[in-house]
Amino acid sequence: MSISVSGAPSATTAQRAANSPVQRVTGWLTTIHHATIGASLLVASALWLLVATVIGVVLGFDRLDASSAVVDAGALTQLFSLHRFALVFGVAAPAMLGLVVWSLPAQLHAANLSLSRLAAFGWWSWLVGSVTVLVSYLGNGGPGGGDAQYVETYLLGLGIVLVALALIAVSVAATVLTRRNGRALSDVPVGAFAALVTALGVVLTLPVALGTIIYVWLDYVNARVAFGGADLIDTWLGWVTREPHTLLVVVPALGVLADAVVRTARGRQPLRGVVLIGVGISLSVVASSATQQAHVFALGDTPTGTLQSLVPYALFNLVPLLAPLVVVLLSLLALRAGTPGISGAFVAAFLGVGMIFTGLVGSAAMHLDALGLVGTVFGEATLVYVVYGAVLAAIGGITLHAGSVTGRALPDGKVVLIALLGFVATVLASLPHYVAGFLDQPANVASGFDDSGLVGVTNVIVALGHLLMLVAMLGFVGLVVTSRRGDAVTDRYRVEQPA
Amino acid sequence: MTAPALTAGPTRRTSTVFVATAFVAAGASMLMGSMLAMWLDFRAKAPTRVASDGVSLIKDWLKRDVAIPEVAATTLMITFVIACVMAQWAVYSARRGDKSHTTLALAITMFTGLAIINAQIALWMQIDLVLRNDAYETMFYAITGTMMAIIVSAVVYSFVAMFRVLAGRGADHDVLRAHALYWYAVSGMFAALWFVVYVQK
Repeated sequence: MSISVSGAPSATTAQRAANSPVQRVTGWLTTIHHATIGASLLVASALWLLVATVIGVVLGFDRLDASSAVVDAGALTQLFSLHRFALVFGVAAPAMLGLVVWSLPAQLHAANLSLSRLAAFGWWSWLVGSVTVLVSYLGNGGPGGGDAQYVETYLLGLGIVLVALALIAVSVAATVLTRRNGRALSDVPVGAFAALVTALGVVLTLPVALGTIIYVWLDYVNARVAFGGADLIDTWLGWVTREPHTLLVVVPALGVLADAVVRTARGRQPLRGVVLIGVGISLSVVASSATQQAHVFALGDTPTGTLQSLVPYALFNLVPLLAPLVVVLLSLLALRAGTPGISGAFVAAFLGVGMIFTGLVGSAAMHLDALGLVGTVFGEATLVYVVYGAVLAAIGGITLHAGSVTGRALPDGKVVLIALLGFVATVLASLPHYVAGFLDQPANVASGFDDSGLVGVTNVIVALGHLLMLVAMLGFVGLVVTSRRGDAVTDRYRVEQPA
Repeated sequence: MTAPALTAGPTRRTSTVFVATAFVAAGASMLMGSMLAMWLDFRAKAPTRVASDGVSLIKDWLKRDVAIPEVAATTLMITFVIACVMAQWAVYSARRGDKSHTTLALAITMFTGLAIINAQIALWMQIDLVLRNDAYETMFYAITGTMMAIIVSAVVYSFVAMFRVLAGRGADHDVLRAHALYWYAVSGMFAALWFVVYVQK
């Protein structure tokens, strides 16, 4: 040990001691710093993306031959359910909230989050809850599961996950509303405004699902007559992992795009107010989530009957479409008004929001009775579009804010390539199931359908798409790791701090 | 000659704890609201049976042999009003710098909350409903149990607020305002539950 003249340990030694592995771990376990909490959520969501893509590959290849099943039929129901859980509560929600937690103080020029301990508690609770859910699936306890104790564990884990995400959302909302440094809400970056919208949505809708979980759990451990036991859990709670509810979780993607385009074009958003309204429209989904049911449009026998079906359909399926549409169109307008250039953050966010929009359009189409798409793989594809779109937008968001949060920007060219790879992966993992939906391939089953012709091919392509998304994710993780070790890159998205 | 510019006034600060409490209260309201909505849905879909008058048909939701202790339930509702008044008194006293009255108000709020919990347990014992094979029984305990958990959280909030005042942080009015807001919200939730579960049945 080197000793300084005064006898005190030298700064280098003290620094080395402070960076010892044990201290790093204890520091991580007890941290309330936004960057570490956000990064933890992002890393955990990447791990869940690994799980989701592997399940996607397994399910895709299992559906290749509808006459023989690789996975046991009993486990298959739970595998489909786990895939949905992994996509929404394992990937999309923590990735989007993680991105927000990671970057929000930098966007608002604040030192840290408000109620950062609450956010840290939320992160750890989410981790415990999501692992509990995973373990319960492995123990045959998911929806349709046969092990009563693991089914209870599943409901407990899911409840913890919902509460944890709501707690993080409270911290996010409090940060936007109390740490604006004197700025009006209309003057904060669109990313911060989108964070507020998604926090509001999460706080208002996830307790609705929690209430259902309480009912289902008490019924499950007692009479099992009111809510039907494990087989019907998805019937009661399935709306949480379906469109349009998932839009509420991925609203920060809209903020990433709106901010990325302005900083990329080095200009202004001519219609900033309209962009904020567009992001705010996402909150209309709260109303549809509160009803806890799908709203299908079917032609009635009378004009009144048709209207009665059309109004809720339009309100709950068409209005949410306006949110990504407005942001995409006005982003293009801002690009035209400024000095446009290709940037990693913009390309990733633009493609991501485009995918989210495609998923929502698909969801709206699926709820048209005349198309007969309900109950087909079309619904699986809409979810993959939205969630993988959110992953792309998260890549864009990390690229956009990396310089201001970590002091190390990411190389633009490589991000563009990864974003394009992710885009191709998303299309391959989703679009074939849009086609297979029209060919009546049923959802959530791997056998008992006609796999001849195009249907069989679509399932293989979907499996390859998931595999490609895994490669894109690993590529981005590798890029982030190497950028931290390599030479610093010029941050082209840098915003001057106010005096 | 130009007049000197006026200095800027104090910037308006938004309280973090007040905002967070408002969000938590909103989430809790959505929780109770959704549970009540499902209660109403199940009740509307319940089969019908002949009423005690032997003529009219009523929903076969609340069983014949179950009697709701209406006096206890209504007493519970009225007790919430007392809790709200006390929580607001704590805010009033804190603004006047009256620490002893602030502490007293918070203590009464907390003990009123404990009385509410006691009354709810007494109500459960009076109604003597056993979880057997009925949707009503399951949903009754689920919804009143959830309400109980929310009431417990309000009592804990009162205890923490009182502890802070005793520890010399009585000038922090935001916590007391947020505490009062939470009690108002909890009272509103219970009012809805009281009307749907105990009055309308």
